[in-house]
Amino acid sequence: MAMTVELPALEQVDTMAPHAPSGRLRRLARPTLGLLLPVGLALAWEIIVRLGLSSGRLVPPPTKLFATIVELARSGELARHIMATLTRVIAGFGLGVIAGTVLGAISGYWGLARRLLDPSVQALRAIPSIAWVPLFILWLGIFETSKIALIAVGVFFPVYLGVMGAILSVDRKIVEVGRTFRLSGPAMIRRILLPAVLPAYVVALRVGLGLGWMFVVAAEFMGASEGLGYLLIDGQQLGKPAQILAAIVIFAILGKTTDWLIELGAAPLLRWQDAFGRQGGAT
Amino acid sequence: MLVLDRLGKIYPNGVNALERFSAEVRLGEIVAIIGGSGCGKSTLLRAIAGLDRATTGTVTLDETAITGPHAKIGIIFQEPRLLPWLSVADNIGFGLSEAPSHVRREKVARALARVGLADKANAWPRELSGGQAQRVAIARALVPQPEVLLLDEPFSALDAFTRRDLQDHLLDLWADTRPTLVLVTHDVDEAVVLADRVLVMRPRPGRLFDEIRINLARPRDRNSPLFDNFKRRVLTALDRSLDRSVPDTAAKSNAGEAMWW
Repeated sequence: MAMTVELPALEQVDTMAPHAPSGRLRRLARPTLGLLLPVGLALAWEIIVRLGLSSGRLVPPPTKLFATIVELARSGELARHIMATLTRVIAGFGLGVIAGTVLGAISGYWGLARRLLDPSVQALRAIPSIAWVPLFILWLGIFETSKIALIAVGVFFPVYLGVMGAILSVDRKIVEVGRTFRLSGPAMIRRILLPAVLPAYVVALRVGLGLGWMFVVAAEFMGASEGLGYLLIDGQQLGKPAQILAAIVIFAILGKTTDWLIELGAAPLLRWQDAFGRQGGAT
Repeated sequence: MLVLDRLGKIYPNGVNALERFSAEVRLGEIVAIIGGSGCGKSTLLRAIAGLDRATTGTVTLDETAITGPHAKIGIIFQEPRLLPWLSVADNIGFGLSEAPSHVRREKVARALARVGLADKANAWPRELSGGQAQRVAIARALVPQPEVLLLDEPFSALDAFTRRDLQDHLLDLWADTRPTLVLVTHDVDEAVVLADRVLVMRPRPGRLFDEIRINLARPRDRNSPLFDNFKRRVLTALDRSLDRSVPDTAAKSNAGEAMWW
């Protein structure tokens, strides 16, 4: 999979360094081409700091960053923060997906519900979700509930829109095939509508998850005592840029991994799709 | 026996698509419905299929009024309309979901072999050519053994060679169980090669204009003078159907031969 190459730029510094695009390596080199810029920059910065051209105080060199992560991991702090953040994202994502799927399906399937529900949802969608923060804190308190609610709100809208749009755009001709075989309502949903909306649904889930990761940071900015967002704030207040960057790198890894898990989980269900990426996209 | 009694269809926008269309089709008969665009051919077929109800008149199959999709009536559309997320075999078995799985598997295997796609059982629909996809659609419609099979310009999207191939193939398959075929087409050649009877419709509003019996033994030679003769008769009827001064002749010629000829 293409994701593995983008992950830990830090750890790849030494393995990638003695790399020259000779004829034999050309095929191997192609997918790693994208690594050239980040690895090169990291390496250059490391050298600049080592040579004493910069103190590296505000922008720590890669080795310092790596050391910070190792240190956090060794003390058990890292696992605690990751667990806190991951729990919030999973809870908020779960709630947002359930609400978005149910309401999106109702709006997509049933015209009356759409006319009744959709204008309100669209109006709410126009509100920047962060604007809810003060209200959620007032209503739900400063602890977990308000954070999870904020993440759920962020996840809800793309899932709702994705599901509704997908149902509305199901090919009428395919539905007619179901009708000619006299499928009952539930059978029509199970055998025609669900498989037809699945590709768009997976995209909606991935967009929703991306927003979930975005909003967990916002949520953890509003007074958390643990979590990766807390590491960011803590690093800023105590002047530890390496800790901030470490948290950012871990966010990237977690975000990419969870996204990849959705992709991986959906892949067997979407094998039937025209797979441009698998057939022609590799070259 | 499929009986169409004074079918009429007026769409909500006021278009009068079909007017007082009556016909009787015997079990096992092949009837082609031909006519210029906008003559209500597809409207008629959709009414028989129970997909869109006619505004007036009735469709009855063996004394049962058809008001919605019916188990004894299958339909093949202009496009194959295969379900892209099901394999070719699962597409063919789509209408057999109530049958036990071993029965379904056996019927699907037989149908696959019958349409010459046994090696494509596990392929996805997107991997098929246009002609292969339409074969799968035919197999899917035939596997539940309908009494009446409706075909809405089924080969019009295919190239001439594939079209001929599939026309012959359809007759082959038809001979297995001899269902009633009602075929809408705008291809005179296709109508004459397949049908026992060609119903010519005239447009605005869509009405039955003429009826031509094709008394030719099967298999029919597309190059024989007799075949050409029937083609010319259908073409002439089509031309006359567009001439407003000519009255509908169908009512007078139901003895079989086209009387005005």
